[in-house]
Amino acid sequence: MNALSAFTLWTQKNRWIWAAIGVLLLWLVLSVVTNRFSLSSLSGIMLSASFLTVVGIGQMFVVTTGRGNIDLSVASVITLSAFVALLTIKGQDANLAIGVVAAILLGLAVGLLNSLLVVGLGIPAIIATLATGYVLATATLLSNKAIPGFAVSPALKGLATGRISGVPIMAIIAILGVAATSFVLRYTVFGQLLSAVGQNRTAARLAAIKNGRVIAAAFIISSVLASLDGLLLGAYIGGAFLEMGQPYLLQSIAAVVLGGTLIFGGSATALGTLFASILLILIVTTMQIIGLPPGAQDIVQGIVVIFVLALAGRQALARRASVDLTDAAAAKTEPGAAAPLPK
Amino acid sequence: MSHLAVAEKGAAATAPAASIRQEIVSLSQITKSFGPTLANAEIDLAISAGEIIGLVGGNGAGKSTLMRILCGTMWPTLGSISFAGQALSFAGYDTAEAQRRGIRMVHQELSLCANLSVAENFFLETPQDAASRPGWRKLYRGRARLALDAVFPGNEIDVDADVGQLSIAERQMVEIARAAATPGVRLIVLDEPTSSLDLDRSRQLRAFIRERAKAGLAFIFISHKLQEIIDIAAQVVVLRNGRTAWRGDVADTSIGKLVELMGGDANSIHQHGTAVASTGGALVRLSGTLTSQLGSDIEIARGEIVGLAGLEGSGQKDLLHAIFKPSPAKDAAVSRTGEAGFIAGDRQKEGVFPLWSVLGNISIGSLARRPALGLVSDRLNREAAADAAGRLRLDENRFGSNILELSGGNQQKALVARALVADTPIILLDDPTRGVDIATKQDFYRLCNDTARSGRTLVWHTTEDAELLACDRVLVFSGGRIVKELTGAAITEAAIVGASFAQQADKRRDAAHDKAGAAGLGRRLVNAAPFIGLAAVLAVMISANPAVASIFGLDLLLMPALSLVLVAAAQMFVVGGSEIDLGVGAFAGLISVLSATLLYDQPWLGALALAAAVAAYAGLGGLIQARKIPAIVVTLGASFVWVGLGYALQPTPGGASPEWLTALFGWSVGFLPTSIILIAAVALAVLAIDRLPLGVVLRGFGNNPTAMVRSGWSPTRYALVRYLIAGLFAAAAGLSLTAINTASDINSGNSFTLLSVAAVVMGGCSLLGGIVSPVGAIAGAVTLSLIGALLGTLNVSSDFNAATQGLILIALLTLRGLTAGRGSEQ
Repeated sequence: MNALSAFTLWTQKNRWIWAAIGVLLLWLVLSVVTNRFSLSSLSGIMLSASFLTVVGIGQMFVVTTGRGNIDLSVASVITLSAFVALLTIKGQDANLAIGVVAAILLGLAVGLLNSLLVVGLGIPAIIATLATGYVLATATLLSNKAIPGFAVSPALKGLATGRISGVPIMAIIAILGVAATSFVLRYTVFGQLLSAVGQNRTAARLAAIKNGRVIAAAFIISSVLASLDGLLLGAYIGGAFLEMGQPYLLQSIAAVVLGGTLIFGGSATALGTLFASILLILIVTTMQIIGLPPGAQDIVQGIVVIFVLALAGRQALARRASVDLTDAAAAKTEPGAAAPLPK
Repeated sequence: MSHLAVAEKGAAATAPAASIRQEIVSLSQITKSFGPTLANAEIDLAISAGEIIGLVGGNGAGKSTLMRILCGTMWPTLGSISFAGQALSFAGYDTAEAQRRGIRMVHQELSLCANLSVAENFFLETPQDAASRPGWRKLYRGRARLALDAVFPGNEIDVDADVGQLSIAERQMVEIARAAATPGVRLIVLDEPTSSLDLDRSRQLRAFIRERAKAGLAFIFISHKLQEIIDIAAQVVVLRNGRTAWRGDVADTSIGKLVELMGGDANSIHQHGTAVASTGGALVRLSGTLTSQLGSDIEIARGEIVGLAGLEGSGQKDLLHAIFKPSPAKDAAVSRTGEAGFIAGDRQKEGVFPLWSVLGNISIGSLARRPALGLVSDRLNREAAADAAGRLRLDENRFGSNILELSGGNQQKALVARALVADTPIILLDDPTRGVDIATKQDFYRLCNDTARSGRTLVWHTTEDAELLACDRVLVFSGGRIVKELTGAAITEAAIVGASFAQQADKRRDAAHDKAGAAGLGRRLVNAAPFIGLAAVLAVMISANPAVASIFGLDLLLMPALSLVLVAAAQMFVVGGSEIDLGVGAFAGLISVLSATLLYDQPWLGALALAAAVAAYAGLGGLIQARKIPAIVVTLGASFVWVGLGYALQPTPGGASPEWLTALFGWSVGFLPTSIILIAAVALAVLAIDRLPLGVVLRGFGNNPTAMVRSGWSPTRYALVRYLIAGLFAAAAGLSLTAINTASDINSGNSFTLLSVAAVVMGGCSLLGGIVSPVGAIAGAVTLSLIGALLGTLNVSSDFNAATQGLILIALLTLRGLTAGRGSEQ
């Protein structure tokens, strides 16, 4: 009994474990039931999951800034980036450096725009990134008309699809990225500031944290990661098409939430995002193997997200209950507006 | 119910005359445990009609828990409750039941909806008398006026003003008056009612309490200001460590005795700070209009403790924030050299990081001032924090505990420790001892002296005038300016109170008014933007192609807008609850598919399916509320379910519209375009719902759900209602899609989701919830749906459609942000 409560306590601090258990269970079930699963099919799933993990990590940074912040522009960034890659690299390895720089610049530009709207102008993140997404959609339509063809640079293709002793290079990149992110979150000042801002913005400001910078950094990280992801994804599928980033919108948010990052902000887990990405791809793959029609796949994905949130909601509820008792949090009233200082 | 209540009130009123006071409610042997800690232990508390009970105790003494149990927001572990001698089971006792039995509580944290008017807030407390017909507000307007004037004569609060526009003190007055005016009320619990009231209002309140008590109303008065307790209460109950430490007549006690009973140090409230000789130059300089009444600038030197006094909201807090973040302008009234740390008194809202341990909450003070890529060391953090904690008598063994597991006083110590590890030369204190027990206060005062002696400067805003005696200098505020500077022996409570009241109190009201007026004009312009935009778009299109202005031309243009208008109406209700539905477009698409397939083939089955879909949609709202999960993600997930269902039913576009459905949208009156009539009808329907009591309740939940729950409203029920209304509008949108396109496509509604959010925001609704603007949202929806046609008229590729919509949204929000001031805090 004591061990159980110790475990419960441990899982509260290591919420990624649930996604990991999910992966393990589904994996075991599939292996036993279908005997079509093997280590090589796992590496295929890892490859697909890596693309999701990269954009999921970015999304995680934004979600962690709290106040329901979500980056809705990642899907458009991925698509546009893939088109920009076609425009700049033109299938030549020689142009690769330009392409990478272009992708990073695109990410920086979108991230800066999002931060300007969210931090500078105080527009809610959902609306700001939604509007940015609109603008990018037009840019994508225009680049779609301008692209010379669907040639992909061989080096980039090698990076996106290659394997080192059976392990996809993309998976290695994703895992290294997750490790680096975990380190940043846990052991750097930035990670702590991010968490503080996500928990209580007013308290963070009064603790002398420059909230705007922290939030802007999160949006920039998200856009740059999405942009690099688009570059690699384009190389992986051998080109680009409109709406290619669309599935990553829900899936990136789902990966973040399933992984155990708090949707209310303030607490993130990169490891959880990695496992949840694998879990999501496993679910999709399973449905494809079973032969469910695309409609049913959508339904299952949607239900999984709602179900997990409804379950996770209870944990958050238990945590929050103690806050609610003493907290007037819900009162969105700004005190002391009566007497402004004379200017 | 109200008849019964009036009868009860009548009975209560006659009771004192009979000299045997009728018992209203009695709690006996109340025990409440939270895990291993006992918040309440075997407490007995009986309240009779006309009694005024003063309830005192330190932090964590169990006052709040006991009151929550009395008011039905919490159930005890053991114990019983009885009304007029009749025992009642706790199982059936909740907030609503407590209110039915005439118990009302005025909470320390205010429980009003800031987006509603004073009168509407009165409605929320006693909704029984409202009928869903025009003019229902008038009743509550009158009731609010009467109630406010009865408790606080000469208050000049406008009952039609939004509560958000009132000062904190005025809100407190509204809340007290609201509780007192409730028909059938028999017992009012006042939790720190005077914390934000000035002396005059506090006296008015006490006079009112005495008067009403004579008429049989009972009061429980909770306050840390013991002289108020002595003044007002007939009986005093002292709690200590969850137990009743003493109950008796106020005549048998004194402040000193109460302090002793509460477990505090009865001796000297605190020592007077001894100023060190100021070393070096001034750290803070105040000048300009701020000090214009004094005739000279104020310089605050190292080692000083400077108190900020005056009536609540006279500019003390503003000065603290101005010192914390001085305006960059050269001639700014406030400037400082050296960094400033801030200790907030409103711990929950401005202080604690709820997910973190005590240690994390302390260490952030020093981390915030380090480079972002620097590394964090737990060991170094712990060493730094241990030093600060030691000086505060905060147990180091608690470092690992979550901050919320600590009592209020200890949480405050952690916040003070945060400022200490930050090690800034200036420390700003914003009423840090609010709601803190006396023992902690003593530790705190000692620390202030030590800190000042070590050469730091303390600027201290307090609402407890006695605390100012510990300062070297006191600046008294009135109307946003410093009107008096007191030093040394001149600092007495009498001098402070005198200076606070001597100056023009009406000045600040004017200032606030001017600001509201200017902002109001700007806001009105921005609110008109969707209408101006719509007119401009139509004007451009008509000038390019005059045929647009014909009835047929307008119908051709506006009929497709109808679906978006309906989706925007649905979205508006969701946004009014401070949520966003990212699946509403997909839902309209699904309804369209259902109506063009099932409903066409098998009307009964189709109708059943439509009803089931709307029910599922409403259920989603209930789920979001019941599990407290973010609507954005849930509805995004749901959008996949809707689309998936649609695909499964109809893999490729097709189907046909039932004849009656086509006819529903296809009639004509000849002289007016049908589309305009239909859009106007939608606008009217939305407007009507919003103006009904139901609309007020929905907006109330959008602004302050806690307050709504305290007033006895069920959040889950109204979440269901909110999503049901939204679902019905979205379903209507789906039907209109089928009728207009005479076929269905599951993807036909997708673009509406984001457009509807844009339309609602354009229209002037606040994404924070509670503020909706039905007509604006609909004008916004029409404008947005015309963008495509407009671009076509201007010969711009439709590729730019999305970008134009996005840029319009950004431009409008920017304008709105600029006129409303920096509304959202980054």
